[in-house]
Amino acid sequence: MAFKSVTSKKKKEVHILRAAINQKLIETGERERLKELLRAKLIECGWKDQLKAHCKEVIKEKGLEHVTVDDLVAEITPKGRALVPDSVKKELLQRIRTFLAQHASL
Amino acid sequence: MKMEEMSLSGLDNSKLEAIAQEIYADLVEDSCLGFCFEVHRAVKCGYFFLDDTDPDSMKDFEIVDQPGLDIFGQVFNQWKSKECVCPNCSRSIAASRFAPHLEKCLGMGRNSSRIANRRIANSNNMNKSESDQEDNDDINDNDWSYGSEKKAKKRKSDKLWYLPFQNPNSPRRSKSLKHKNGELSNSDPFKYNNSTGISYETLGPEELRSLLTTQCGVISEHTKKMCTRSLRCPQHTDEQRRTVRIYFLGPSAVFPEVESSLDNDSFDMTDSQALISRLQWDGSSDLSPSDSGSSKTSENQGWGLGTNSSESRKTKKKKSHLSLVGTASGLGSNKKKKPKPPAPPTPSIYDDIN
Repeated sequence: MAFKSVTSKKKKEVHILRAAINQKLIETGERERLKELLRAKLIECGWKDQLKAHCKEVIKEKGLEHVTVDDLVAEITPKGRALVPDSVKKELLQRIRTFLAQHASL
Repeated sequence: MKMEEMSLSGLDNSKLEAIAQEIYADLVEDSCLGFCFEVHRAVKCGYFFLDDTDPDSMKDFEIVDQPGLDIFGQVFNQWKSKECVCPNCSRSIAASRFAPHLEKCLGMGRNSSRIANRRIANSNNMNKSESDQEDNDDINDNDWSYGSEKKAKKRKSDKLWYLPFQNPNSPRRSKSLKHKNGELSNSDPFKYNNSTGISYETLGPEELRSLLTTQCGVISEHTKKMCTRSLRCPQHTDEQRRTVRIYFLGPSAVFPEVESSLDNDSFDMTDSQALISRLQWDGSSDLSPSDSGSSKTSENQGWGLGTNSSESRKTKKKKSHLSLVGTASGLGSNKKKKPKPPAPPTPSIYDDIN
């Protein structure tokens, strides 16, 4: 019981920390920059085209009229996550770490 | 805030890494979501499948990448020029010549409209099949000769003065001719003639006269048209030109000053000075050398037309007399010469003499 409360407390702490960092990301505009960077990289490496092809299959399966956003998100998101190339992922993570380091040292 | 920073700095690496991963996942999810919205909107608006094409048409419209062909697989021919049909005279003109042609044909100026009307009249009168075809081929020629006609009338350029004096065989002459024509000398004389013809039946006497003073005018055997090239047209001899002029205008018209020349002959001069003064007087009376460059040259030109090469050479001599170089005996040889040569206004004549 006591252990559980400790972990939950820790989780809560991390949660708060996470929210704070997110806040900081948005405030500094870094989040926008990262998003833009990711978008450009994904288009550049053909991620978007691959995903589009996948989309077409999904939509043809379901029929043009019956496609909903929820369907698409459910189908596409896992695939999208998987298709991000390692190089892009690494670069993005590196930038995030740099950001965290800068603001941790403050 | 302070507490956050404290705790942030106090975090160990694994936690920091976990947070970084989370942020990354967030971002990717964002992108995916954005993409899904985009696709959904495209589907609902009906433009999602627009760029889809079936393989057949893909093959049909494939980009061709072969030497000698453009991307549509057509043979690019750089010698094939586009042609436009003139709305006024309904000849087809090479696109590059169309604007200059229109300017003339639609009558920007007196001469041009008259020329255009004459052309139309000609094409109606003449057997069309022949003339039309050839006209297409050699528009440049026509344009050029009409242009020269205009110029000669308008400016009475000095050039015309020494045209008859030049030796027709001299390289200088042929060079300048080529240059003016703006084309290589023709290899096909018939085409040459045909392409530049004017039918003389439709011309009035006045027009005939003005034509003959500025153009070759020799009538082609094949088209029965008059040659519209310059007076020095290499297709025809001076002899032919003279014949045509005699035919149309009569001998007196061709050599209006023959009489006065004869007078000169009968005039017995042993004194070259007397002759010189007389010549000078003649010159000022009707062929005034000082006028030569300016106005009233049509008569003189008519005279110039009649001269053939040998005569012109002699007239040159005469000129040299005028310039006090000659002798009385030299004058005697000039006696047959018809008209007196206008005083040479241009240095080029002297070049020829030398």
